[in-house]
Amino acid sequence: MSLSKETLEAHLNDPAVLCCRRPAGTVLSAADFEDPTIFPDLVDSNLMTLKEGGLTIQQALGATLINDGEALTQLTPDLLDGVKEAPAEEPEEADEEAAPADEEPCSCYAAPAPAPAAPASDGYVHLHLDKAEGLDLVFPAGGAPVAGAPVPPACAAAPAPAPEEPAPADKVMRTLVKKDYPVTKVELGDATSYADGVLTIDESLVEAAKKADPLVKDVELKIIEPSERHVYSNTIMDVIPIAAKAEGKLGEGVTNVLSGAVFVLTGMDEAGVQVHEFGSCEGYMDEKIRYGRPGCPDADDIMIRVDVKIQEGTGMERRGPFAAHSAADVIVHSCREAIKDLDGVKPVKEETFKDVRRAGRPRVVLVKEIMGQGAMHDNLLVPTEPCGVKGGQKNVDLGNVPVVLSPNEVLDGGIHALACIGPATKEITRHFFREPMVEALQTDEELDLTGVVFIGSPQVNDEKTFVSERLGALIEAMEVDGAIVTTEGFGNNHIDFSENIAAIGSRGVPVVGVTFAAYQGQLVVGNKYMDAMIELNKDPEGFENEILADNTTTPEDAARAILMLKTKMAGIPIEPPEHKWDEAVIEANKKLVK
Amino acid sequence: MPTAFKLTTAKGLKSEIYVPWTPKPVWTPLTKPLSECKVAFITSGGIHKKDQTPFNTAGDWSYREIPSDTPSDQLMVTHGGFDNSDINKDVNAMLPIDRLRELVKEGFIGSLVPTFFGFMGGGGNVDKFEHVTGPEIAKKLKAEGADIVLATGGCGTCHRSCTLVLRCCEAAGMSTCIIAALPPIARQQGAPRITAPLVPIGSNAGEPNNPTMQMGILKDTLNAMEEFDHFGQMKALPYEYRHNV
Repeated sequence: MSLSKETLEAHLNDPAVLCCRRPAGTVLSAADFEDPTIFPDLVDSNLMTLKEGGLTIQQALGATLINDGEALTQLTPDLLDGVKEAPAEEPEEADEEAAPADEEPCSCYAAPAPAPAAPASDGYVHLHLDKAEGLDLVFPAGGAPVAGAPVPPACAAAPAPAPEEPAPADKVMRTLVKKDYPVTKVELGDATSYADGVLTIDESLVEAAKKADPLVKDVELKIIEPSERHVYSNTIMDVIPIAAKAEGKLGEGVTNVLSGAVFVLTGMDEAGVQVHEFGSCEGYMDEKIRYGRPGCPDADDIMIRVDVKIQEGTGMERRGPFAAHSAADVIVHSCREAIKDLDGVKPVKEETFKDVRRAGRPRVVLVKEIMGQGAMHDNLLVPTEPCGVKGGQKNVDLGNVPVVLSPNEVLDGGIHALACIGPATKEITRHFFREPMVEALQTDEELDLTGVVFIGSPQVNDEKTFVSERLGALIEAMEVDGAIVTTEGFGNNHIDFSENIAAIGSRGVPVVGVTFAAYQGQLVVGNKYMDAMIELNKDPEGFENEILADNTTTPEDAARAILMLKTKMAGIPIEPPEHKWDEAVIEANKKLVK
Repeated sequence: MPTAFKLTTAKGLKSEIYVPWTPKPVWTPLTKPLSECKVAFITSGGIHKKDQTPFNTAGDWSYREIPSDTPSDQLMVTHGGFDNSDINKDVNAMLPIDRLRELVKEGFIGSLVPTFFGFMGGGGNVDKFEHVTGPEIAKKLKAEGADIVLATGGCGTCHRSCTLVLRCCEAAGMSTCIIAALPPIARQQGAPRITAPLVPIGSNAGEPNNPTMQMGILKDTLNAMEEFDHFGQMKALPYEYRHNV
């Protein structure tokens, strides 16, 4: 495919390859060269080979073909008359390489990269960053009396002095305290209770759970000790913490949490079909769970397994998985009731979460894409109780439009996940309860986290466009300075992912994308705004390996994403990716996180 | 941005995921069984009827209407972007018109539209293909009731021109697939669906005078269209033909 005159400029030093058959005597111009951006693909598909000793486009330009040349022929000196000499190495231009940016992570004042600051008479410095896709930053000239006063460069070796006036006070919007109470033993009994570290579950709840929904055909309850995990299990639909509001509503006040025990929902239908979609993690529970991931049971957790059998053929309809979650919630809810009032019991741990607006810091937003395509691809937003079912709004019924939650609402169990995409990449209920990206952004004193936007991935293409455009309008109204977009899963939701990133990036907002791609989930769509990406894969071969939550966000991933966002917001270039998934890139990035 | 603030940054961070830059997705799901589908075929490989005006090989965004019942020996190629010898041996190597009629006879597909389209995508005026030729062909095929539009490119720029026209068809409500000799170009240009046999430019639909391969490529392509469930997917097909020109 030929180059245009504009694209030619960018590729003068790339190898010269004929795009199409050209007859002898052709004087080579832009239209005769193949586009170098797809060389790696062409080489991978064995459509082309690139040898040493080839000419660059600059050298071949204007030369004449001696013989007829076939498409995708690499041009070498023997094929052409009138080849230009290789130009002498051009001296390094004083670009961002020359900027006094530290090699190690550094702190810097004022974001803009060194670029000519054009004095303007409106009291603002106007900067244009060539490396930031047309991002224009406008900000007051630091209180200097003269407009166009020098701006401290990014990452200056000696940081520019902080402004004299004290930073504006942080505004705490709401505070949530999670009080942890230990569970050392779970047993079945006549009534549900919690005392002295023992959680007793009323056995008769199993019968009540069966009545939760007409589609529920059977429910089994089993306590699985950490030492006895080699137990066969149906596919794991969800992991649900036991947490109850003791004071206040979701996102504020006090939430009592049982630590050391967690509910695990598994299921199949009457015909023996696992309730899953892409990939299933039925098997031995010691092998099929990545213990310790935010969404998973921890190494020492007692698992309370609720295995639900639903009506034949309903596993891939919305009502089927929802019925299973409703059944499990009957049992979980009884445990919540038992821990609502623990006055006089001393928690082993208290964690305080604050929704803080930090004036004077760059405003950022976290956008989390969730599944919304029917069947088990649904999520309940803001249930009445942490991680509960009742009171939650289904994002499919909401039309998958963007909905804002406060960080505390997320961390207080504001999402009950029905999503049953590939086991390794799905974000389940416990994941949201301790979402590492939300926790890290919320406590980052350099940033002002405005909120967490949940946006569904609809089934229909025009709905995908609709929700992405609504996200763009929301971002514009929020006036944020940066955004991180995450998605669970891979495949067609990567279409939403790329459109969501474009909706943000095209508004001049620096954005970082976070997803599983690696080998199996390679992106098939993309755009120029997706130039700062974080890979969630943990599988050595780059696959959806059907180990629960293996390829979901960890605190390490969150740290890289946030560092990348700050770096991009500061105007420091993010290097382009390798053409293929390469674990070494991720390892190198990890080393840059302090 | 606020006036002054502190950000921890790092130099040398590298994006971790390769992202192809593609145009906006266009997508029309295939909702009928193949046996009920009306199928169209278009090619940017410079095919036209012998009694039609040849294409201008320097660049041409016009198109030729080829009745789908045209005998294959009345078709020819005018294209300067690749070696024409395979098509001269058997036009089905670029426009598998005989094979498509056999597919109807077999009941594998429902029917063919009355009109196929040939154009010469080499050089390829992007603007004209995107805004004139593409919409015109899409409108005519839609009016003829096409459910599926299959296509071959020819050379590199032909794959681009072809993809531009297919995207117009997809946007007009037809499910499309390009049988690509140069899949990276089809993908970069935003083809909704791609199948990729290992064939050279100039025999994009399979080896000349090898009806078994040509049929296999068509059937596998149609079957793949039933599997593809979202924009931008590609399937490599197990056919290989090399042509040493």
